[in-house]
Amino acid sequence: MRPEGTRTYLGDEARAREACVRRLSDLFAAWGYEPVELSALEPFDPAHPHADRAFKLVDKTGDVLMLRSEFTTALIRALLPEGLPAGPARFRYAGPLWLREAPSELGRLREFVQVGVELVGVSSPAADAELLELAWTALDAAGVRDAVLELGLPSFVRDTLEAARLPQDATERLRHAVDKKAVPELAELLDAYGVGGRVREAVLALPDLFGGREILAEARRYALSERAKLDLEWLEAVLAQLPSGVRLVFDLGMARRYDYYSGLTFRAFAPTLGFPLLGGGRYDGAMVPFAAGFALGLERLLEAAGKSFRRQEDRYLAASPELARRLRAEGKVALLAHAQDEAGMRAEARAVGARYLALPEGIEEVKP
Amino acid sequence: MKGYGLTVALPKGRLFAEAFATLREAGLDLPAPDDDRAMFFEKGDLALLLLRNADVPTYVDLGIADLGVVGKDNLVEAGRELYEPVDLGFGACRVSLIRRPGDQGPIRRLASKYPRIAELWLKKKGLSADVIKLHGNVELAALVGLADAVVDVVETGTTLRKAGLEEREVILKSSARLVVNKTALKLKSDRLRPLIARLRARALR
Repeated sequence: MRPEGTRTYLGDEARAREACVRRLSDLFAAWGYEPVELSALEPFDPAHPHADRAFKLVDKTGDVLMLRSEFTTALIRALLPEGLPAGPARFRYAGPLWLREAPSELGRLREFVQVGVELVGVSSPAADAELLELAWTALDAAGVRDAVLELGLPSFVRDTLEAARLPQDATERLRHAVDKKAVPELAELLDAYGVGGRVREAVLALPDLFGGREILAEARRYALSERAKLDLEWLEAVLAQLPSGVRLVFDLGMARRYDYYSGLTFRAFAPTLGFPLLGGGRYDGAMVPFAAGFALGLERLLEAAGKSFRRQEDRYLAASPELARRLRAEGKVALLAHAQDEAGMRAEARAVGARYLALPEGIEEVKP
Repeated sequence: MKGYGLTVALPKGRLFAEAFATLREAGLDLPAPDDDRAMFFEKGDLALLLLRNADVPTYVDLGIADLGVVGKDNLVEAGRELYEPVDLGFGACRVSLIRRPGDQGPIRRLASKYPRIAELWLKKKGLSADVIKLHGNVELAALVGLADAVVDVVETGTTLRKAGLEEREVILKSSARLVVNKTALKLKSDRLRPLIARLRARALR
């Protein structure tokens, strides 16, 4: 019996997954992102963002270990003892992650693969624009043609809520209501905390600051502090550096983990899928002074991309090792036939999914 | 759902008529559910799903339906990540702690149709008790001693008093909410934003 929320992959599916990871890794490499390999076993740390949700194991020493549940933290922690590089450093990773608590429903596995990048040591609109463009290009490389990138600005929510000058638990309850876009609860809370005037107006506007680019102009009207204005200016500067053709929507009321994300956050959606395909953002100061990155979920990408990875390259079933070697030298996929005669080879070709027979007298197509 | 502009999940029963009328009034030209046995209707690019109350959050969260109407009680019980931008105002009720008059002892067993709400309440109070999930006639559990308190929905309180029980504490005030799938709100904002605005304006009347 397989543990809940885990899957195994065979045949077409396994091939599609491998091809997708390879394409993404090649793309990230072409942008100068260096590969890293991180251990799946980590020492348990109650301060880890997934401390409650990670799988835990007991080591022979009695120490508690946890299974890797997130790449960003793992990567930054691997970098710290080495000393941070001076200036921008680019890293990429790909591999499985495990979460104990994730409910195993549609697209929510407990063992899943992420492919992603981190850009460390630099904080600028240009760095954010690089990551957004790379994320958009990665979706295309993964065969997702109808995706939309959604940008959020948790720092804007934080700076707006801070203008209410409430104790931390009250601010946290407001944040939660903003994040759920629960306007009725938000109004009730603001009444209860006695928040009025311009601050109340701005906080109540947050949940509805989603849509197209026109939202930025609307948000500027509610920018209560210098910091909130700077947040918006940063976002405008990022947008100015993006290539055309990137489909964008905005949600400036997105307020998840705003104590972790310091600036821009982003996700990608495909119309037919209820979950984001990728997620990322800037987390300056969370672990290192300047860093941002994103990760793509392999299982979700393949669901959104549909059939685009299902195509298989043409295969040749070769009658002799010599013929097979020659085809492979030409870069073709060649399998050595075990059948002794041509009729047997035809049957074998159909069984192994080969489209062509390579016979001493030449190449012959196999009719399906 | 694929192939439809918008898919709407509505609960059968108590909330249906008002939910249907409210959405129609707000300009959503929903198909009339004219067949008692059917669960799925379509008209133009709209699809309508008729579901059990407690299933509405599931269909909306998983993106099968883009939006739906569900009572706050069932929404809290489901514990799912949904947007809930409008309090539609109708279907008002409360979820309360109910005991037999005079019962003052500690609560060791708590029966409810809402095990999650019951657990959350216990946690908030710092109490620990066994929570028993029941599917109906929850008052009976208190009357016959299956549990020493129940957490159940109260509309007017008449039924309760008739049964000889007492409402001790209001745990949650509920009314019908518009719920929207997180992805759909962003990708279909050109249709959903005006709909939400009209529903809010209507709720204020």
